Amino acid sequence: MRGLWPFVLAELRLNLRNPAAVFWSLAFPTLWVSLFGALFSEPMPGFGYEGLNYANFLLPAGISIVILASAFIGMPIALTTYRETGVLKRLRVTPLKTSTLVLGFTLSQFLFIALGIVVLFLVSKIFFGVQVLGSWPALLGMIIFGMFTFLALGGAIGSVVGSWRAAAVITQIIFIPMMFLSDMFMPISIFPEWLQPICQALPLTPLNVILRDIVYGVPIDNLWQLAILGGWLVVGAVVTIVFFRWE
Amino acid sequence: MKSAIVCEHVVKKYGSLTAVNDVSFSVEEGEIFGLVGPNGAGKTTLIEMIEGLRTPDGGSIKALGFDPGKQGDELREKIGVLLQTTSIQPDIKVKEALKLFASFYKHTVGDTEELLHTLSLEDKANSRFKKLSGGLKQRTAIALALVNDPTILFLDELTTGLDPQARRNMWDFVDKVRKEGKTVFLTTHYMEEAEKLCDRVAIMDYGQIIALDTPRGLIEQLGAESKIIFSIADSEMEAAGFESIKSVSRAEKSADGFTLFTKDENAALQGLVRLADKQGFRLTSIRTESPNLDDIFLTLTGREMRE
Repeated sequence: MRGLWPFVLAELRLNLRNPAAVFWSLAFPTLWVSLFGALFSEPMPGFGYEGLNYANFLLPAGISIVILASAFIGMPIALTTYRETGVLKRLRVTPLKTSTLVLGFTLSQFLFIALGIVVLFLVSKIFFGVQVLGSWPALLGMIIFGMFTFLALGGAIGSVVGSWRAAAVITQIIFIPMMFLSDMFMPISIFPEWLQPICQALPLTPLNVILRDIVYGVPIDNLWQLAILGGWLVVGAVVTIVFFRWE
Repeated sequence: MKSAIVCEHVVKKYGSLTAVNDVSFSVEEGEIFGLVGPNGAGKTTLIEMIEGLRTPDGGSIKALGFDPGKQGDELREKIGVLLQTTSIQPDIKVKEALKLFASFYKHTVGDTEELLHTLSLEDKANSRFKKLSGGLKQRTAIALALVNDPTILFLDELTTGLDPQARRNMWDFVDKVRKEGKTVFLTTHYMEEAEKLCDRVAIMDYGQIIALDTPRGLIEQLGAESKIIFSIADSEMEAAGFESIKSVSRAEKSADGFTLFTKDENAALQGLVRLADKQGFRLTSIRTESPNLDDIFLTLTGREMRE
């Protein structure tokens, strides 16, 4: 594990120097929750959860966006860029072990995501008084589970495609429709019946649903959805391991 | 002397292409060893197999006694590598990169400031890698290769793409490394560079080593000839008239004078002066050209070594 923490800190620092990463992971989710939180300051009628305002309604979706912006969009771009420009190859002729490299990359992503979520939560707490009614450990666990799943899926895309441009395009083509189909802004029940099973099978759906249940403090009766998330984690990890290339 | 690198019958194939074809040689400790050849000769494939980046399809490699494929971790502690194109994280600062890379090794040079100084990078310590010029990037890459005080330094295409000044700086640098007693394994497609820097040179073409010796030895062994180039005044002479000079193998007339080919510059010059005396002509603008490795490549392959 020699070199792990210097690598984690270097990568974290580099993420903070990357304007796109800073905007999408640190600024955008907070701005988005703040903007709509301010526009709809009254508790929403028919929203169903007494005492929770609109910002609070958006908070779990904001957390999902932080996770996806880093793990699913930012990470594959960084990975493919490192491969294309030969950074990975250069690291490979040092004694840095592959396991240390992977762990370091993951930990730096985790810290960056954690930072994004802390910023989101603090701003929403201070200006909109948002609350987490469910269990904090469950929230943290779910964030980590979601992060690993989307890191694995991002890693899979980054390993299969050749260039960072392709990685950027593919992840965004998947991300944008997935956002609408995954119970983030609108319930799945509004979609045609044939589409609903597909919505349920998306990796983002369980993350959104369970994060929301934890934040709203409603009993989680859909643990089976964790299996969907776990399934995607396995698929992503296997594809990454099989297709990963150093150069 | 002990061998730092030993390659025996090394083969690497890519599909139907044999990139490295049954190559055997060894590099002694403390030696500056050059691998020279045109682009696509297999130099990079070979050097990357020794570094452990690629696995040979046949033969065996030992570097510092380690098998690069199986004992890569041990080997990588002790080697410094300049890849053909080195890239590190674009937004990392030079100083940060040195600290980061130093953290990967058990044994390091200790003082990275000193390393910045050696490569005249002090002014750039806080510059981001992506903002550096080609020459500065190359110097940073070398600083990274030296961070573990390596026993063997691999330099793949040390000066390709650099301007003449930056090239000269690199040559000075290799001289410095030589004095520290490190083993250097370099590849280049500039014959001039190999001749100037290397103790021994292996010439590679189509995946095979076609000659290996000291630069001087190669030139002598292959009997490449020196040239004596001059013009004359006050006389009409034909080229054949000079072929009577002892040790001159051949004479050619060109637009502004003559060229004599010889393996013994000294004897031929003396003979030429005596002939001028006897025949009563005056020699003007005389100069000699010793054979260089470019001529060797031409002699060996019948081709000019150009990109």
